[in-house]
Amino acid sequence: MLAGCNAFAGYPITPATEIAEAMSVNLPRIGGYYMQAEDECAAMHLAIGASLGGMKAMTATSGPGFILYADPYGWAIGCEIPLVVLNSQRVGPVSGITGAPGQGEFYNVRYPTQGGNYETIVLAPNSAQEAMLMTVEAFYLSERFRTPVTILADQLITDGFEDISVPETDEEKKAMGMRFMERKAHPGPEFYPPTDEIDIPPVVLGVGTKALCSDWTPTEEGYDIETVEAQHKHSYRMIYKIRNHKDIISRHETLFLDDEPDIIVVAYGSASRTVKTAVKKAREKGQKIGMIRPISVWPFPDELFQYKAKYLSVELDYDGQMVREVQRAAPGDSEIHFFGKCGELPTVAELHETFDKLLSGEQLSRIGWEREAW
Amino acid sequence: MKDRIEILASGFGGQGVVRLGQIVGTAAVNQGFRVTMLKSHGTEQRGGYVRTQVVLSKEEIDSPLVEDPDFFCSFSSAAYKQFGHMMKDGVVLYDPAMVEIDESKPFRQIAVPAKDMAIEKLGRPIYANIIMLGALSAAACEILDKENMLATMLSIIPKFKDENRNAFEIGYGMVTS
Amino acid sequence: MDKLTDKYLRKRKIPSTACSGCGLGQAHKAMVVAIDELGFDFYDIIWGTSIGCAGRQTFATWKGDNFAGTHGRVYAIARGLRLAIPVEKKLVLTVGDGDAFGIGFNHLLHAARSNAQMTVLVCDNLGYQSTGGQYGWTTPAGVKTDSSPYGMFEPNWVQTEMDILNVLKAAGATFLARHVSMDGRPLVESCKKALQNNGFSLVHCVFPCITNFGKNALGSRNTVNMFNWIKNRAAPLGEEKEDTLWRTGIYHDAINTRPEFSQLMRDKVSEIQRRYQDEGSH
Repeated sequence: MLAGCNAFAGYPITPATEIAEAMSVNLPRIGGYYMQAEDECAAMHLAIGASLGGMKAMTATSGPGFILYADPYGWAIGCEIPLVVLNSQRVGPVSGITGAPGQGEFYNVRYPTQGGNYETIVLAPNSAQEAMLMTVEAFYLSERFRTPVTILADQLITDGFEDISVPETDEEKKAMGMRFMERKAHPGPEFYPPTDEIDIPPVVLGVGTKALCSDWTPTEEGYDIETVEAQHKHSYRMIYKIRNHKDIISRHETLFLDDEPDIIVVAYGSASRTVKTAVKKAREKGQKIGMIRPISVWPFPDELFQYKAKYLSVELDYDGQMVREVQRAAPGDSEIHFFGKCGELPTVAELHETFDKLLSGEQLSRIGWEREAW
Repeated sequence: MKDRIEILASGFGGQGVVRLGQIVGTAAVNQGFRVTMLKSHGTEQRGGYVRTQVVLSKEEIDSPLVEDPDFFCSFSSAAYKQFGHMMKDGVVLYDPAMVEIDESKPFRQIAVPAKDMAIEKLGRPIYANIIMLGALSAAACEILDKENMLATMLSIIPKFKDENRNAFEIGYGMVTS
Repeated sequence: MDKLTDKYLRKRKIPSTACSGCGLGQAHKAMVVAIDELGFDFYDIIWGTSIGCAGRQTFATWKGDNFAGTHGRVYAIARGLRLAIPVEKKLVLTVGDGDAFGIGFNHLLHAARSNAQMTVLVCDNLGYQSTGGQYGWTTPAGVKTDSSPYGMFEPNWVQTEMDILNVLKAAGATFLARHVSMDGRPLVESCKKALQNNGFSLVHCVFPCITNFGKNALGSRNTVNMFNWIKNRAAPLGEEKEDTLWRTGIYHDAINTRPEFSQLMRDKVSEIQRRYQDEGSH
């Protein structure tokens, strides 16, 4: 609401229902609309419709609902609709455990729809305070880049309680690093330039611009066309408007990277909370351990992985998702390790045991269901 | 005071475990603490397993996990079995109607017959969690202010104020420091 | 259609990209004539389309704003859009039978439930024709298609005892009509009524597909035969014959009898807003 959101469409799902409920209470009081949809696919389409009409729209769900966003998400990418989508990760696959945190959506939010030929912007807060900040930022980026932006949260963030500090004045908002962008309407007729430019207003219907938007490959004006050249131009824009302006999106937190740490722990979202405590305590014990926490997880912040070290990716999944990106981004002679847990945060004690093993050169080999090798 | 205080409550859905954590967390915020509270629950429905973890600190809290509880409110035997092993030098508050404790444990364990007292004194078992809250408030009186806790509880549960106030006082009276 | 074309349609899309002999143009034209006769300008109307022949061939034909949803979802987009655009703008959707009665049916029912203003013209070519000709939910009994090679034996949704328009009526639609594309004036009149409803209107219009349906069902791509085949199986309500497949005319007219979705939302939200502003000022 700080970002000017005035339309929210949702479908009840644990653990994102609280967001829908809060919006149903608060939006009407400021003249905004809460819409409850017949399913998640409709929810995101309703939000798209509101955005197409010039509103600032949002929707929120969890994994089993996010897969139903696949259809509208692709449409919103292709038509360049500014929109904010929140995915609160629970434990999967399928319905899994509803009221517990997971991080199995890491790649799902990178590839939220079919067809490829696009980049996505995904922000992953690790606290209630940061969730507020990143939601405001998501609205800002969605306007500048004309694309849906996903907030990748998890059950602990959307279901938990924390004290937060809410800014009241413009100075306070600025001091917190909040950025804002008003909605403008593209005047036409060339709604879809084949360039990597950002800060182009999106298509808005109902304002007399003779706008065109569709699920088909567009010409620059938005007519449907099926030529390899037109599709290539459109893809170039979908990919490079984001890749070439990554600096505007990137944000992260790092800790103790300046003294060539032996281990660099990588974690995002709520998993990073216990990791941070564990790393700080390990430092107190004299262990040379650092931490990288991507906040913008997509595009993945390759540039943070400059040091040769033993990298340890700590994730709330067993299959090892972010670790694949770490392996790709880290210098070639780095060791890459994985610690996975799901439904609960790794404890500080478990992390310390893992650090000790890695420091003494032991492998994190795993046997059986409780401990498997990545 | 320690640099962080960890409070754990666990039982079944419908026992008011999450509500208890929410009241404690909000009371602590009102007292100027930084607070995190996690809740985990097995299903959307009542009757499933529920846990809430509250951490209080004067500083920003990184890990929101309770790994070394200062206070553990146990509403079921299953909860006691699952989380009792984490206890080092904290206090367990348990309802003897629901929980059979291991008396050989070295830490302090206080019986809070919340369910029986709720039925006996207030006529309905639903006040048991507020009796437990009162007991917790007494056990943690050096950290959490009693009047603030009571006021916070009454603001979060605006119905049946007299009954809830009585329940809180009954629980508070069960614990002597 | 020259004067109308100049006034309402984009030159780039004329002539249409539809197959030769396609009857879609008759349905499309009827809607444009209705719009003209009601005195709307092109910027009064936002035109939405679906996937399939009906959607693809009508997308970007309208001189004003156009949008095309993914398959079956245009009703949900339209409902969200309805909230954001000025109340006086009208939404017109040209969609196919698969889109409305198959993949998008749940969204269509909820659009009817909410009575969101949209005039849905379901251009029905009796199956999935743009994918080569498979049976759909309105394919007549016995008809051979690429996916009903032994003849359509599944029940369909235009059978008298299970008419899809009855389902839509029960779901809350406030205007419902059925036509065949060669109906001419009655079809235009139904479109006009539909447009005058500040609520959910649906006009179901069967049109001939020569290329696939004609080839599969009638064994030839003869345009005249195909047109007559449909025309002979349609009759106005009350004048049905034994072999009538499509009873034409207005099925349900409750226009402007129920609050329109976006109007209801606007009224409720301003009521809530006022209440909390009043409380806030105390």
